[in-house]
Amino acid sequence: MLSERERERYQRQILLFGEEGQERLKEAEIFIAGAGGLGSPVAIYLAVGGVGTLTVVDSDAVDRTNLNRQVLHTDRDTGVKKVASAREKLEALNPDITIRAIDAHIGEGTAAKLVGRADGIVDCLDNYPARYILNRVALDKGIPLFHGAIRGMYGQATTIIPGKTPCLACIFPKAPPEEEFPVVGVTPGLIGMVQVNEVLKYLLGTGDLLANRLFLWDGLQGQATEICVERNPACATCGDGAERGRVKRRKG
Amino acid sequence: MKARVRFFARFRELLGAEVIAEPAPGTSFLTLIRDVTRGNGEGHDAVFDEGGAFREHVILMRNGKRIEATDAGETMIADGDEIAVFPPVSGG
Repeated sequence: MLSERERERYQRQILLFGEEGQERLKEAEIFIAGAGGLGSPVAIYLAVGGVGTLTVVDSDAVDRTNLNRQVLHTDRDTGVKKVASAREKLEALNPDITIRAIDAHIGEGTAAKLVGRADGIVDCLDNYPARYILNRVALDKGIPLFHGAIRGMYGQATTIIPGKTPCLACIFPKAPPEEEFPVVGVTPGLIGMVQVNEVLKYLLGTGDLLANRLFLWDGLQGQATEICVERNPACATCGDGAERGRVKRRKG
Repeated sequence: MKARVRFFARFRELLGAEVIAEPAPGTSFLTLIRDVTRGNGEGHDAVFDEGGAFREHVILMRNGKRIEATDAGETMIADGDEIAVFPPVSGG
């Protein structure tokens, strides 16, 4: 049930989703991997939208070089852990939701436990090795992974629904070389909004998801394109011969 | 015959947004991309490794379907094909 206060807070979007939709958001738990350039706008808009529980995981501290894009953090947060800064801002934005801020590294041994029983994972990471780990967790748990990534004025996003769409490794089987990527804040702002839009549609069961579609944004040209993506039967992660598939079949 | 080759992200900065190519019949995907990147040292090197093979992270699509780099030499271009060549971006 929504409180009177919540009805007031969400009044303008209850016009869109109805009280039932708003209650669905309230019941939901979303895992946000990273509190940086993508994680900041993602967390802010999921919070003000009333997603009931947000788990934000990051192991870094705020650095002044983050501040051109990581809009959860302010100049006085320099040196503070990102999750502490994130919790403070998100609780101030919306005291009616629960923020779980966890100072941890998302790695092979920790990811599944950190994700817990979330209804969805938002990929706000900055490297593919950690993304592949989250991809595996999403597949194993059967929960969607809302992928986003950026560089400079370019970005990409797609929604991965285990069993229904390609997994991240089907689409991007090999990681690009690591680099100190150039970025201006508007790019993760924009891609983060695409990710949040996907999360809301998924939770509300409305609209068409970016499933089997890779959204590509070119900020220089002001142009969005989409490309169809397909499952790769030979995918090392979710394909017919993949290790996890064999393990599942043995169990079943 | 004509084929439209579109580049994205970093490749677009180096090679331009798109090239309308006029390959001869029997031109492979690999040959076409080699031809359109020829003469652009930095652009070519972003797409191909020292041995002239596609760099392993490069994504190749033809008419919305992925082409594996290992098949690009045997995949023939047809008239009207839409080709996309791009690197995944990784920042967050």
